[in-house]
Amino acid sequence: MNRAALTEFAGRFGESRIGVASLAVTLTFLICALLAPLISPTDPYDLSRLQLIDALKPMGSHQVVPGEEFRASFAVEDGVAVAQGDAHGLAAQSCGDACLEVRLDAETPLASLQVRTLPAGASVEGASKHPVQNWWTVNTPAGNSVRIVSDAPLPETFNFSVIARSDDQPTDLVFHLGTDGFGRDMLSAILYGIRISVFVGVVAAGSAMVIGTGLGLFAAWRGGATDALIMRAVDFMLSFPAILVGLAILAVLGSGVGKVILAVVLVQWCYYARTSRSLALSELNKEYVEAARGLRLPAWRIMARHVLPNCMPQIIVLFTLNIAAAISLESSLSFLGVGLPLTQPSLGMLIANGYEYIFSQKYWISFGPGIVLLVMIVAMNLLGDRLRDVTNPRFER
Amino acid sequence: MAETLFEARDLSRIFEPARGALQQLSDRITGKQPAVVRAVDKVTLSVVEGETLGIVGESGCGKSTLARMITGILPVSGGERRYRGEDYVSFLARKRDALKVQMVFQDPMSSLNPRLKVGEIIGEAAALHRVVPRARVRDHVVEMLERVGLPADTITRYPHQFSGGQRQRIGIARALAVKPELLVCDEAVAALDVSVQAQIINLLMDIRQDSGLSMIFISHDLGLIRHLCDRVAVMYLGRVVELARTEELFANPVHPYTQMLLAGMPRISVERRAFMPIVGEIPSPLHPPSGCHFHPRCSSASGHCSRIRPELSEWTPGHMQACINAG
Ligand SMILES: Nc1ncnc2c1ncn2[C@@H]1O[C@H](COP(=O)(O)OP(=O)(O)OP(=O)(O)O)[C@@H](O)[C@H]1O
Ligand SMILES: [Mg+2]
Repeated sequence: MNRAALTEFAGRFGESRIGVASLAVTLTFLICALLAPLISPTDPYDLSRLQLIDALKPMGSHQVVPGEEFRASFAVEDGVAVAQGDAHGLAAQSCGDACLEVRLDAETPLASLQVRTLPAGASVEGASKHPVQNWWTVNTPAGNSVRIVSDAPLPETFNFSVIARSDDQPTDLVFHLGTDGFGRDMLSAILYGIRISVFVGVVAAGSAMVIGTGLGLFAAWRGGATDALIMRAVDFMLSFPAILVGLAILAVLGSGVGKVILAVVLVQWCYYARTSRSLALSELNKEYVEAARGLRLPAWRIMARHVLPNCMPQIIVLFTLNIAAAISLESSLSFLGVGLPLTQPSLGMLIANGYEYIFSQKYWISFGPGIVLLVMIVAMNLLGDRLRDVTNPRFER
Repeated sequence: MAETLFEARDLSRIFEPARGALQQLSDRITGKQPAVVRAVDKVTLSVVEGETLGIVGESGCGKSTLARMITGILPVSGGERRYRGEDYVSFLARKRDALKVQMVFQDPMSSLNPRLKVGEIIGEAAALHRVVPRARVRDHVVEMLERVGLPADTITRYPHQFSGGQRQRIGIARALAVKPELLVCDEAVAALDVSVQAQIINLLMDIRQDSGLSMIFISHDLGLIRHLCDRVAVMYLGRVVELARTEELFANPVHPYTQMLLAGMPRISVERRAFMPIVGEIPSPLHPPSGCHFHPRCSSASGHCSRIRPELSEWTPGHMQACINAG
């Protein structure tokens, strides 16, 4: 298209605010898809970075570094406690008669300190005892130390062990949209989900466009039995609901990105074939095609260089609408668990993952991806509709 | 004597209505013959080198169909076509030679591809078939544009930026660019304003004079035909009913249809003729009248006319006509 026509086209497109808004939203999503690795706060595919402690956090909570655990066992002989093996910074020393102080020399305040297997009669100051076991726990011990005391003098020799646990430390990383059951940041997961969904949608709708348009042009050019065969195949495919075809194919082939794309192509090629055939048939009747025949141009050249470019505007419109349809089909299949593999969560799978928690008030896991998917598909559909209105010659005033 | 350039013998074209596979099957079983249109029915004519042959007839009589068969765009249903004595089967197979017959189309709006620049429209075939060396294509296109009276910068513009007359010039340049010997102009000026028509006609006459091009000039405008053509064929419902040198045809029309056409022609002289005005509707080409197609509208029809299919026969030397009651 030349510049003047393009300017005019842009002007007509710009007349509708909804059209411009949907274009802006669609472009935003495309940018998100392209830049996901750069703009997302975490890498949701890096399983080694996931920690169970972050799981199911609501929106706006911080990521935490889980507290450390320090264990040591001590043997007391002649009133002197000696660490058995590595003490991990724990030490025990006498604090008078029938008193033994256990402390951790560290900056971080402890969340709890537990002393296990004390001799009979001994106890720990300010501790709560395990209901069954001989375990004494002090929460947030002052100065990171506790005292083992006893009414009677402590025995000359005995063994005990100590488990100190430091506090969880919040980090600067905020989970703006909460986390899912694996402790994955939902914002990052959504950004990567958009990336996968858009990739699958564009590649699948694009492949369907190439294959379908090719077949449609071939049918229009050959006519007769070839035409009838291809168009009956189109009717056959169109008679099944898309989701059913997708489910059947993935049930046979198993899941995977390539297979989802294959399923979408099988569902969508017929729309392009039907549209491009009818467009090509009307173009083939025009005199410029006869002129090209008269100039003895080869058939493929007439189709590719003369007929196809004149069919392209409507096919592009169909492409825009079909990207949205491909994304929603892929999401539906993933939601049903037959689409993409678990390691590459698309929006549909994120919604499905959150679905298990939705009745335990953990709405944010499904909520975010759901809204994003909805907005994306609506925007693309509006954009496609607007493009169709603008390119449709009957719309001309 | 000049060589015969193009020759058609018993050329026919049948259009069948589009039928679905089931319809075709049921027709075959019941033995039903689908209603067909004989758009062109056994037309025999020829063009000698340097000559301009006119084809005239009412709308729907098959002029465009005949033109498309002559240029080899449309396959024939019967009959044969020859170029310099060579059958079209082998002639059209040699793509470069087949360029010798070119066509100028009626509709200046749809005859140019809106997606291509004028330079590509004119130069594409010349480049592809090496009519001129690749490096010379641009110069060649500019030359063609000059020849049809358009500036060189036309090359980078698109068809929609031009008026109907300019577009028709582009269409003529496209045909000329592959160096044709026979130019078929199918109502090339019918869609244009009268003043623009005159310019295009003058252009065609100039080109014909410069290059000795042979032409088939199709029109329903008798004035143009008389002005431009050496010989004229008159068509009625797919058949040629009269064929003669232009002066002869206009002076001594033999076939009642020709007489009727000429009587309907606006003329400057006030001389009154005794011809009947055209009566009746043009019959549907789907159900043409039996025998002579013209008999329902003919004032001198006899009983035989509805039974006998009239053949084109020599009336006087060089003057062919197809009325059985003539004379
Ligand atoms: N592709 C086609 N399919 C079916 N019928 C056709 C086709 N092309 C032409 N016809 C029919 O053949 C007949 C002759 O058509 P044609 O276009 O050759 O007439 P014409 O003399 O050029 O008319 P006009 O002056 O209107 O251009 C018409 O009845 C038309 O309906
Ligand atoms: Mg015509």
